[in-house]
Amino acid sequence: MILKANLREASRALISSRQRSILALLGIIIGIASVIALVSIGTLVQRESMRQFMEMGTDILSVQAEQGRGGGSPKGFRLQDIVIIPESLSSIATVAPYASSYGELRKDGKRMSIPGLGVTESFFHMNRLAMAEGRFISDLDGTTAHACLSSNLAEKLKAQGIATHPGSELYYDNRKITVIGTLEPAAMGGMRPYEIQEGLLMPLPAVQRMSSQSIISTFMARLSPGFTTVQGTEEIRAHFSALPDRMEVRIMSPEEMIAHMERQFRMFTLLLGAIGSISLIVGGVGVMNVMLVSVTERKREIGIRRALGARKKDIQWQFLIESVLLSLVGGLVGSLIGVATSWGIARFSGWQFEIVHGALVLGVGVSVAIGIFFGYYPARQAAALNPIQALRTD
Amino acid sequence: MSLLKLEKIKKSFTLGPVQVHVLKGVSFEVHAGEMIAIMGTSGSGKSTLMNIIGFLDQPDSGRYLLEGKETARLSDSELSSIRNQKIGFVFQQFNLLGKLTALENVCLPLVYRGIPEKEQKPMAMEILEKVGMGDRAGHRPMELSGGQQQRVAIARALVGTPSILLADEPTGALDTRVGQEIMDLFLELNSTQKITTLIITHDPRIAAQCPGTVRMQDGYVAGTEESP
Repeated sequence: MILKANLREASRALISSRQRSILALLGIIIGIASVIALVSIGTLVQRESMRQFMEMGTDILSVQAEQGRGGGSPKGFRLQDIVIIPESLSSIATVAPYASSYGELRKDGKRMSIPGLGVTESFFHMNRLAMAEGRFISDLDGTTAHACLSSNLAEKLKAQGIATHPGSELYYDNRKITVIGTLEPAAMGGMRPYEIQEGLLMPLPAVQRMSSQSIISTFMARLSPGFTTVQGTEEIRAHFSALPDRMEVRIMSPEEMIAHMERQFRMFTLLLGAIGSISLIVGGVGVMNVMLVSVTERKREIGIRRALGARKKDIQWQFLIESVLLSLVGGLVGSLIGVATSWGIARFSGWQFEIVHGALVLGVGVSVAIGIFFGYYPARQAAALNPIQALRTD
Repeated sequence: MSLLKLEKIKKSFTLGPVQVHVLKGVSFEVHAGEMIAIMGTSGSGKSTLMNIIGFLDQPDSGRYLLEGKETARLSDSELSSIRNQKIGFVFQQFNLLGKLTALENVCLPLVYRGIPEKEQKPMAMEILEKVGMGDRAGHRPMELSGGQQQRVAIARALVGTPSILLADEPTGALDTRVGQEIMDLFLELNSTQKITTLIITHDPRIAAQCPGTVRMQDGYVAGTEESP
């Protein structure tokens, strides 16, 4: 029952020393904001990669041709070396080679630079894609300039009033191309090349014919059922080193991919964690400082309350509640900023955003803990004051 | 039986290397319903005596019986509870809390007594009306005159129905006319409600109005008088 009165008086006391309270809270706000951002981004990244692997499966390898060292011109794979893999290697079921290009898309006097990707029919199932409209590239397209649009590109074109339905015609690198379909949006990152979301997909032979720069630098391989990524990796490596012009390859498995993402994220975690904990300590010291000043300023009040029958415990509670309330306000503001920050980062990185409730609970919990920890000493000081001396102060 | 009985109360303080004996054996008693002025010059030990009577301090030796009960060796929280239940303080500087309204100030002793909030307000309001401050309940101390503030302070002292009203120079910060009004209030409360009142003062005009006087000098009681 004293609690309610205490809460009311604590908020009054904090409001009356507004400026000081706000300054003291900056540290807590920054600290809690970093902690919240950290935890929610961590969770978002995890969910994002999980979603990706759920969509694509974890039985896919990404194989890259090692670039020639010492300035040697990059050499890609030969298509025939790749397409024989499913037949010659028992651990690999299907392969999907692709070649990147970059070109200018032109229509009705509007121009934009768009990444292109030369793909084969197998690319569709390998990446578990789905069509929003029309059909995907077929191996029967040969070198015909057919193009399949990614969802983002189709939207961009539509926004400019350019038709994207199957049969529409566009110019890509000064060649007339015909749209045959549009893809559904797909979760990004991991194994999937990002052109799936932003670019233009064309038959691999057509892209290679358009530009000699377009080499097959990467192919994706799906494991046969019952084989491990290690077996697949070894067989592929052996396959390419047995070629007459022996090739070195770099193979990424989903496990490595996850490990790689985690490594990247660990740096981020350390950075934000360091900022967060330093700010929280600074913020806590700020709270303690405000509370010590408050105790000194209100000695007389403490004396009066003691004369009216407040026990040491009552005084201690009063100041403890005040410091908890103070840091809780900081915690709530910090949580808002943290959520906003993680929303911004998620948007920037193209991840799906959700509010991570656990992070909010953590933020509020940590700020209450700081209020208690750093408010305890000033509250003890207040309670320990001699009532007679406290009454005599001006 | 006396309400309050002091027997050979001694109290000394250590100031650096010097031991200062402030009270050197004070004895007197107060009966329920009495109104007594404790007179003395500054340094006579009357403030220390008031702190001891008000349970803000404890004597080094001697006995202090309140309502016949020994009060030595009490813990801090027991002392707080006695202050809350048995003593009503009125200070020279009023000592109202500036952030609270008059009504909230009067509620404070009830808050520490753990009385539910719903019951506090009517009790406080009733006593504010008794001291003539019912129409100022929502005002903050800053908005009240000195005399009005002291009336609120008296209401705060009385709200918990204490055994003793303990006033330390209650008119000291007021001009003569307002001081006399406050004095009249004490006299009225004493005669109509039988509220036991101890007024600590160095002003002979105040002391003269009290039915009884205890004169302090150099740490001793120099004399007790009963006014006719």
